[in-house]
Amino acid sequence: MRPFRAALSLMLAASLGLSATFMTIPSAAQERLNFSWPSNVGALNPHLYSPNQMFAQAMVFEPLVRYQADGQVVPWLAESWEVSDDGRTYTFQLREDVSFSNGEPFDAAAVVANIEAILANRERHAWLELANQIQGAEVVSEHVFRLQLGEPYYPLLQELALPRPFRFIAPSQFVEGGTKEGIEAPIGTGPWVLSDTRMGERDLFVRNESYWGAAPAFDEIDVKVIGDPNTRAIAFETGEIDLIYGAEGPISPDTFERFRAMGMYTAELSEPMRTNALALNSNRGPTADRAVRLAINHAVDKDTLIDSVLYGTQRRADTLFSPNVPYADIGLEAYAFDPQRASELLEEAGWQLASGSRIRQRNGEELMIELVFVGNDAVAKSMSEVIQADLGRVGIGVRLIGEEESSVYARQRDGRFGMIFNRTWGAPYDPHAFVSGMRAPSHADYQAQLGMPDKETLDERIGEVLLTTDEAQRQERYEWILTRLHDEAIYLPLTYITAIGVARPELGPMPFGAMASEVPFDQLKPEAR
Amino acid sequence: MAAFILRRLLLLPPMLLAASLLIFLLLHLGPSDPAMDYLRLSQVPPTPQALEETRRLLGLDRPLMVQYLDWLGGALRLDFGVSYATQRPVLPVLLHYLPATLQLAGIALVLTLGISILLGMWAARHRNKLPDQAVRTLAFVGVSMPNFWLGFLLVLLFSVQLGWLPPMGRGSWAHLVMPAIAISLMSLSINARLLRASMLEVARQRHVTYARLRGLPERRVERSHVLRNALLPIITATGMHIGELIGGTLIIETIFGWPGVGRYAVSAIFNRDYPVIQCFTLLMVTIFVLCNLIVDIVYAWADPRIRLSAEGVE
Repeated sequence: MRPFRAALSLMLAASLGLSATFMTIPSAAQERLNFSWPSNVGALNPHLYSPNQMFAQAMVFEPLVRYQADGQVVPWLAESWEVSDDGRTYTFQLREDVSFSNGEPFDAAAVVANIEAILANRERHAWLELANQIQGAEVVSEHVFRLQLGEPYYPLLQELALPRPFRFIAPSQFVEGGTKEGIEAPIGTGPWVLSDTRMGERDLFVRNESYWGAAPAFDEIDVKVIGDPNTRAIAFETGEIDLIYGAEGPISPDTFERFRAMGMYTAELSEPMRTNALALNSNRGPTADRAVRLAINHAVDKDTLIDSVLYGTQRRADTLFSPNVPYADIGLEAYAFDPQRASELLEEAGWQLASGSRIRQRNGEELMIELVFVGNDAVAKSMSEVIQADLGRVGIGVRLIGEEESSVYARQRDGRFGMIFNRTWGAPYDPHAFVSGMRAPSHADYQAQLGMPDKETLDERIGEVLLTTDEAQRQERYEWILTRLHDEAIYLPLTYITAIGVARPELGPMPFGAMASEVPFDQLKPEAR
Repeated sequence: MAAFILRRLLLLPPMLLAASLLIFLLLHLGPSDPAMDYLRLSQVPPTPQALEETRRLLGLDRPLMVQYLDWLGGALRLDFGVSYATQRPVLPVLLHYLPATLQLAGIALVLTLGISILLGMWAARHRNKLPDQAVRTLAFVGVSMPNFWLGFLLVLLFSVQLGWLPPMGRGSWAHLVMPAIAISLMSLSINARLLRASMLEVARQRHVTYARLRGLPERRVERSHVLRNALLPIITATGMHIGELIGGTLIIETIFGWPGVGRYAVSAIFNRDYPVIQCFTLLMVTIFVLCNLIVDIVYAWADPRIRLSAEGVE
């Protein structure tokens, strides 16, 4: 008896003693910001994709031009540029005070070497139209270089602003004369330098002391590897990390709401980053009828959807692109939530509700629509269920189809859907790259638009808008395209996806980057410490 | 005994081969497409062109049999290919993460055995009295509680509310406490009840009564005559618990941000990183088989009847 009691109390005491020893959770050094990410940041090759993490690539490597939240492109490593009259030649003047973090000069030769390294791997970048458009780059003088395009492709500047691939690593770090096969070390011109990586644990960035721009407020950024959103939330609550940021669900919507309700943290949403919409198939089934598409737009109560499923973490979307997207602020009138109006539209179009039936019919055809979503996406599933219920109230039946991602993609490609989740690409791809994709038969947009009487004209206009060098004509073309899509109700815009930011108030006001893939560490201005 | 061990070890290669084929087929015959996941991770829109290029990059454009034989050829040379998601060779990365997992599972095993034996003995000694009821209640709760839930409850209490223990990461012994408890509680509960039942069973046998009649002190009867015999089923059960503990690390490592193979495997499963899943499965099969072999050896050592019959002594 006694030995067991003794052993038990010993263990209890030991565990208590142990916890007492580690009672204080180590607090971050004053100048260090603790952040977290689901994986290590990778080797940080600026010209390759996964496992290189975009937010980290953007910390170390900089673009020629920068994309602003208002959709404007401003000078960055390039201080000015000239465009030839035919829109095919761009001549860039580089800043002269920039060097790589190892002291190498950042000059036209370095830029051209990087662009050649990117083009040597062109097939990997073919998804980005700019990579197909660039024919070559040449050095004009020490700080001037020229870019030759195949066509006058206006979104060149937007795509140069992307976190990858058009950013610059010191040419001394090339492997086998390029970056395709890897790099020696991630030496860029940006405000941060990757100083240490511990696999599965963390990546440490230190401030680039020779940075040409404004020095960031923090000396170090420690990016801990945390995969689970709940663990991330706990790490934040216990002070292991100082900042939660991201647009890809760094924490669940209800956790965000909890932090916001607590009142002791800064918990904010960014401006709209991209749109989550349903594409309605105008070429198949009941949605081929414009009245049905309009009725759907009037029947879904988006505000309740956002409150109940998303805990208010996204904003209501009334149009395919939010008005803060370039060329998209054209005053389209929203389809208001109005079930009465939805029912009227359906009645007028001949979709009648037989007595005792809950689903409308027309000439024996049932008003039944398939809604396709990725099965393991819990949020999409909940949203689908709410939409199903809303449409059910006006007599539209919805069959929910949750499938593997690749099966959903196959349906997008061949148009086997009535309604399907479809996101725009976000800044800086919106609107040009997303609109451009509407011409590709493999996109849900193309399939959904096929039933439009003027789909051919639409595609032609899209071709024109990408190549016109006349700003007024471009605005006019975009207006036409977006208005047609809106009038035809090809989409049911649901929400504008936002980035979320949560931090302690000491970290100061929460800045948001213009692109969802960037974390604006350099804009954090902690209050006087 | 040596022949027995050798025979068991010789069974390992065919088992690994069968497991590798099974997991390969299960992964590749499903409808999912790792190229899609790679593009998602890369945040590149999945155009048909990009998908095709990615399949080529990952070697998924080749016939299934060629892919398997190619992988098998590599595996025989201990080259398990390159991870889709991290683009690093799989085996070195898994071996990098393995010590952390073994540490966690090892501590959990020590906790399981140590505490369950104490609790089991305590309960058996006070059958149907308060200690017994307490242990039975604990065992009931422990068996019923999913380990991830327990993990979160522990974090909520000891990290968020009390601030005593770090909620995540690896470094000091304090980091081990909660994950080890979360993993081991279920096995510990099962073991405690098993030992209690087993001790009560053995205590009724004649050799125990005889030992008491011989006037041996009660403690010696308990230790040498009851416990030693009652431990035999525990040894067998331990073989199974090792599997549970290692399986438990998958979830628990993810929750506690523990840099081990379990968390790595979970993210690989999430990203459909086939080379990692395949190598992880084989690694686990190997560990599982070896642990069971060790358990069998210990069992034989602990029970002379088995040892002697294996050596041909009647």
